[in-house]
Amino acid sequence: MSAAPAPTGNGAEAAAIAEDSPAPRRGGLARLVGLFNANWTSWAGLAMLVVIVLMAIFAPLLAPYDPLDQSILNRLKPPSADFLMGTDAFGRDVLSRVLYGARISLIVAIAAIGLAMVAGGTIGLVSGYVGGRFDVAMMQAMDVLMSFPSLILGLVIVALLGPELRNLIVAISLTAVPPFARIARAPTLAVKERAFVEAGRALGFSHARIIFVHILPNVMSEVVVMGTLWLATAVRVEASLSFIGLGVKPPTPTWGGMMRDAFENILDAPWIAIYPGLAILALVFALNLLGDGLRDATDPKLRGE
Amino acid sequence: MTSTRTASRTGLAALALAAALAVAGSANAQPRTMLNVGMAAQDISRLDPHYSTTTIDKVVVGWMFSGLVRFRPGSISPAEIEPDLAERWESSPDGKTWTFHLRRGVQFHRNFGEVTAEDIVFSLTKAADARRSGFAADYRAFEAVEVVDPYTVRIRLKEVVPSLLGLVTNYHGGNIVSRRAVEQLGDRFLREPVGTGPFQVTEHRARQSLELAAHEGYFRGRPQIQRVSYRFIPSDASRDLAYQNGEIDLIYGRQDQSWANRMKALPNTSVMVFDPAELGLLHMNITRAPLNDIRVRQAIAHAANREELIQFHGVDVSRAGTGLLPRGYLGGIEVGAVPHNIERARQLLREAGFPNGLTIKTITTQLPSMLATMQVVQAQLRRAGITLDMEVVEHATFHAQIRQDLSPIVFYSAARFPVADTWLTQMFHSRSIVKTPTAVTNFSHCGMADAEIDAARVETNPQRQLELWATAQRKLAEAVCAVPLREGLQIWARRNSVELGYQLNGAMSLGPLLTEQTRFR
Repeated sequence: MSAAPAPTGNGAEAAAIAEDSPAPRRGGLARLVGLFNANWTSWAGLAMLVVIVLMAIFAPLLAPYDPLDQSILNRLKPPSADFLMGTDAFGRDVLSRVLYGARISLIVAIAAIGLAMVAGGTIGLVSGYVGGRFDVAMMQAMDVLMSFPSLILGLVIVALLGPELRNLIVAISLTAVPPFARIARAPTLAVKERAFVEAGRALGFSHARIIFVHILPNVMSEVVVMGTLWLATAVRVEASLSFIGLGVKPPTPTWGGMMRDAFENILDAPWIAIYPGLAILALVFALNLLGDGLRDATDPKLRGE
Repeated sequence: MTSTRTASRTGLAALALAAALAVAGSANAQPRTMLNVGMAAQDISRLDPHYSTTTIDKVVVGWMFSGLVRFRPGSISPAEIEPDLAERWESSPDGKTWTFHLRRGVQFHRNFGEVTAEDIVFSLTKAADARRSGFAADYRAFEAVEVVDPYTVRIRLKEVVPSLLGLVTNYHGGNIVSRRAVEQLGDRFLREPVGTGPFQVTEHRARQSLELAAHEGYFRGRPQIQRVSYRFIPSDASRDLAYQNGEIDLIYGRQDQSWANRMKALPNTSVMVFDPAELGLLHMNITRAPLNDIRVRQAIAHAANREELIQFHGVDVSRAGTGLLPRGYLGGIEVGAVPHNIERARQLLREAGFPNGLTIKTITTQLPSMLATMQVVQAQLRRAGITLDMEVVEHATFHAQIRQDLSPIVFYSAARFPVADTWLTQMFHSRSIVKTPTAVTNFSHCGMADAEIDAARVETNPQRQLELWATAQRKLAEAVCAVPLREGLQIWARRNSVELGYQLNGAMSLGPLLTEQTRFR
């Protein structure tokens, strides 16, 4: 997965960089696919994820009803031909809300983890590269953040900022920054000692260029794998925050929010809780399968290297 | 011989077993004395009765305090007011001077001493002081409350009030507090109040429960229930499960037909639906854009669909709001409930310059029944192009924030003393506008009917008084200060083994009163 960029420069220095650079793995992608293939569950995870993403994208075409439309006469209807997953306390179609709810879960998870990857990755890269006291201070700060469980930290941040989509994304991304910083820093410490980095410095490359052009590609695979695994966590945290009333405001459908609404009628109409619950389970399961598969495929120990 | 001996042994054994069972039976026959109550609450907020406005607080305040007079337990009819701390009373011919003769030997909770005229004067003066009471506006007509002797109190009024006894009942400011306790406990009085009712606070477990014990010195006799645990279980489903598992005996219900039907189907359970109906009004701040445009307010009024709300909550527990006052209040008229008409609402919005609709912020409570109502209203307004941007907050926060004037639209559901004066003064008089020194619950900032409300309060001619109240309501309705939505009746359920000791038709404290007669069968 990790493919070092072709070092630039002329003469002997360039040759030295070229010699030390991690050999670009010819056919690395094919090999990765091969390793990924070795575990069919990875493909199952990917397939499930693709289905959920397609459902979210095409929700307006797939949903039989407007997810916000209330029909008081049809409230708390069990699953039937008219309402495949039944209706909720306001007579809203549960299937339509589950489909639209996927959008929020995916948007929040992808945006939050994307932000965390960028922020955490940058912190880890810079911290590892700079080293010394700066590194110690940054990592201790990350340790402090990591000492809070994601849900508790997310809860505090959303409670402070207010329950809105944007704040939910910020809160979840903040809880995920430390692991990304950690995962980016570790390989940076090793890579920065390599000759091609030394050569880059000798050639007068800026620190930013060395970090982001030469070191980053060598740590990218770990960060991406971590990201996939953390997407599942983000989905869970979003659902949990919505469940406790700190999610997106009503009437926007979110899976956690639907479960929260369903809770008040769980004794009369359990289907309102079951379907969003299954949806959360399916997405988290898919992301975990995919993440595990990617991790196994990129783990040198498992590859027997 | 052997068979005789065997028979006699068997007989003895049977006798012994019967005796043992009889003893066990008599032990089991001892009625329980601990009552567990499940309430939809995160916690209590203020138990000083002169500040208690939430249902959560009012219910428990009703068990702890007495007034000079009281509504007969189970009734909210002013015609059934009976003596409480006062044994008797009389008024001067002009109705401006009232003298109350106190019952002797009435003890406050926790050894705070006997109730004397000084306590009554202190308590009523506190209730009338906006710095120490949330209901001061009700007592504006009080000129002086005086000690005649240790067991006699005189109230002098600046002007005649529609129902003086209503102001000294066991309701809101009429609840009598201990002077010594208020002065001694300071802010702690909000959580550890001292009254004279049948039950007293023993412990407040934050976010868990309020523990109460029988007031042994209660003047009507020692309560038969010894301990009450008032448990905070905000989730309806969790509370229902706790009831079904036998953990609670008396449960605050959900104003919902499906809840009523399910509870009715449970064995040994009685569902209690009673007055007062709380009228839910959608108050609109007429000073804040875009609600300062009457066409926007009219559009909201036309977009609201009361019939749909009744279908949503159920006919057993709710009825349509027909005016700006709950039904049955003296002086109330049917006005302000404009017909549901989405097309008219859209047209009004276009005329107001919002052809593409508009968004209005509102703060609403997490309390399930109120939140559900707001979600239905949100969907109704959406059909007219009005987006309600709802911020959902915890119930106590909701009460705090709406009083800080932070929500341009406020859905407020309430019941008051059933006379127009109290309701109109608190909801629509300019003195009651929120965030003012004399604030009560005027969220709309309407004040166009002040003159009529004030004039009606001192009007001695009953017919003229009714006319003034009617005019006030018409003015307020014309200005679309609030939209009547629905009236929700109180709904609770109890195990049949709990005997309240009276017929429950109504309770001003919004929950079943626990009296000295309340017991387990």
